[in-house]
Amino acid sequence: MNDIVWLTMRRLRTPLIVLLLTYFISVCIVVAVPGVDGDGNPVRLSFLDAAYFIAILSTTIGLGEVPYVFTELQRLVVFFLIFPNVVAWLYSFTAIIGLFLDDQFKAMQAHNRFVREVQWLGRPRSLWDRILQRESPKEGLPFYLVCGMGATGSMLAEGLLDRGLHVVAIDRDAALLTRLGIDARFARVPMLAGSVSDADILRVSGLDPRYRSCRGVIAVTDTDQANLTVAITSKLLRPDLPVFARSHQQRVCDNLASFGTDAVVNPYQIFAKRLALAFRSPIRYLVQDWLLSVPGSKLRTRLNLKNGRWVVCGAGRFGQPLIEVLEAAGQSVTVVDVDPDRVAQYEHAVEGRGTEAATLEQAGIREAAGVIAGTGDDVDNLSIILTALELNGKLCTIARQEDPKNAALFAASGTQLVAQPNLIVTRRILALATTPLLKAFLDHLEREDDAFGERVESLLRRRLGGRAPNVWVTELVGPNARGLTAAREEGVELRLRHLVHNTRTALGEDLRCVCLVLERGDLRLVLPNEEEKLQPGDKLLFAGRGQARREISRALQDPVLLLDFATPEQRIPRTAIGRWLARRGS
Amino acid sequence: MERERVVFAFFIVLALTLNFGFFLGDIDNPDHHEPFELGAAIVVSLIATVLKFGDRSPMGSTLLATSLVADLQLIVAAALWGFAANLGEPGVSERVFVSIVSLSGGALLANFISVVLLVAETVTVRR
Repeated sequence: MNDIVWLTMRRLRTPLIVLLLTYFISVCIVVAVPGVDGDGNPVRLSFLDAAYFIAILSTTIGLGEVPYVFTELQRLVVFFLIFPNVVAWLYSFTAIIGLFLDDQFKAMQAHNRFVREVQWLGRPRSLWDRILQRESPKEGLPFYLVCGMGATGSMLAEGLLDRGLHVVAIDRDAALLTRLGIDARFARVPMLAGSVSDADILRVSGLDPRYRSCRGVIAVTDTDQANLTVAITSKLLRPDLPVFARSHQQRVCDNLASFGTDAVVNPYQIFAKRLALAFRSPIRYLVQDWLLSVPGSKLRTRLNLKNGRWVVCGAGRFGQPLIEVLEAAGQSVTVVDVDPDRVAQYEHAVEGRGTEAATLEQAGIREAAGVIAGTGDDVDNLSIILTALELNGKLCTIARQEDPKNAALFAASGTQLVAQPNLIVTRRILALATTPLLKAFLDHLEREDDAFGERVESLLRRRLGGRAPNVWVTELVGPNARGLTAAREEGVELRLRHLVHNTRTALGEDLRCVCLVLERGDLRLVLPNEEEKLQPGDKLLFAGRGQARREISRALQDPVLLLDFATPEQRIPRTAIGRWLARRGS
Repeated sequence: MERERVVFAFFIVLALTLNFGFFLGDIDNPDHHEPFELGAAIVVSLIATVLKFGDRSPMGSTLLATSLVADLQLIVAAALWGFAANLGEPGVSERVFVSIVSLSGGALLANFISVVLLVAETVTVRR
């Protein structure tokens, strides 16, 4: 039986027994006491009358409905009975109501509700479900398990929901989950307050092997240790599921990678790598930045980092990899840090916070090329940037922003490049989980030369119209290959050129998108030629506007739009039977 | 000695003895059957039921079932008596009284099974 029922029954034992005893003894006493009727004849209350009387007495309803007026003796006795009865009822009521308000009880209820919601997500869909809801796949709705719903976790969950995926969330902080539960965006996300180190909690949240539709586990709690626990647990329980884990320390990163965690995301390392690319090739850095920025935001312009002396404030987990990158890029570095041990490690170093003009002057800010505000405190970082710009207006500025709520402040401070670890982790995991081809493209971009970067940049600039693109993968399978199959039946070869034009107008204008990668089995074509023939099963990575995405999927799902577009001189019947008849007729 | 076991065994056996006391006598003679005793049997049986709430062992579940049966039979008997005595023609007819006592006889059987189970459990625990 259900846990709640058992808990309720155990808790109700004492109140119910108290109630039963008080009630029965009272009834017996009322029956035993002699009285007189209206005519003065001696009479006793029957059991029924007595039980009734005690019931209205003890619930304090007090209907005053008794067969005869009581004698003095009866009244005296009843007078003494009233108090234990009322107390017994109140005690029982508060015990029962208290049970429903009990934290333990509520936690158990929340747990049961959570398990039911996850079961609903993972429930295999019947044919009928699939008819009613066209998207619902056979094995259940696809979902990701997100451990840790802080700034990163909630951004990630939002991104996954935006992409039509479902999310199951666990966090240690019950108050945080209550706040998120009120949020309309997360209304349909099953959330559980609990420790991620409890394997049982992870199991009911989607790691149980019966949840075939769980697509992956994302570990983004505050502590590396907890992320490590999640990664190990899920690799043991479900070796088939990809695990994405955030980590801030190289030691933990190596540990995570050692047992096959699919992606270890260290935002500070990622940012350092990007900065290295920015020094090496501003154009390729720009293309990467465009593809990784929030869709719809304004496209950033080229970042020109000056050569010379860089002042790095804060040489912790953020600053330290940047110092290595700067030195590798041939820049000279002056470190400003409050920790004397760290200061001692560097050749040029000043002890101090970097928020005061004196420290910055001492670090040589007036002759410097740039400043990096990399302390762990957002306000300190803002202060460093403002002070530094006051001393030297021509500085390149890079700042670290830990709290997403401070975005407006950093934008107003005029910082050229803001590193938001939360956003970096979010976008990296989203890209890896939902568009792995993008990662492949970006790796390719890093290896290629500047000419390739220029080509991509001009393509994107021409098509995007100043806004950062959506990046999506179109897979030519199932309903997404309907147009392709119909064309192949007619013996028409469809080419990429047909797909990236508007098929619904006679003009056939370009859609605002660029095909970045075409993947066919082991073959991977980067920036495929427009004349490339399409085959069923191809995966295409696009960057472009949402409108283009909708046009492409419409063209692919319609049997004849593409066909008519490819062969404008002849109209083809819309239905498969019609086409078959037409073929037979000709 | 376990307090919970003492309390539970006390109520189970008391339910049986009270039930037996009520059942004893001529089946159609109201003078042989005391209403107070029936009331006490009902309450003690209900308490025995409540005491088994939340007991997850298989024996606990069976005992819960048998005492629920006893409750049901006794409550039906009491309700029958209450209706017969207060509604329709005054006084309880012989036919109705016979069914009241036989219902309590059924409850007696259920209570007896409870006691047998209790004894069986105790014996196995000892070994």
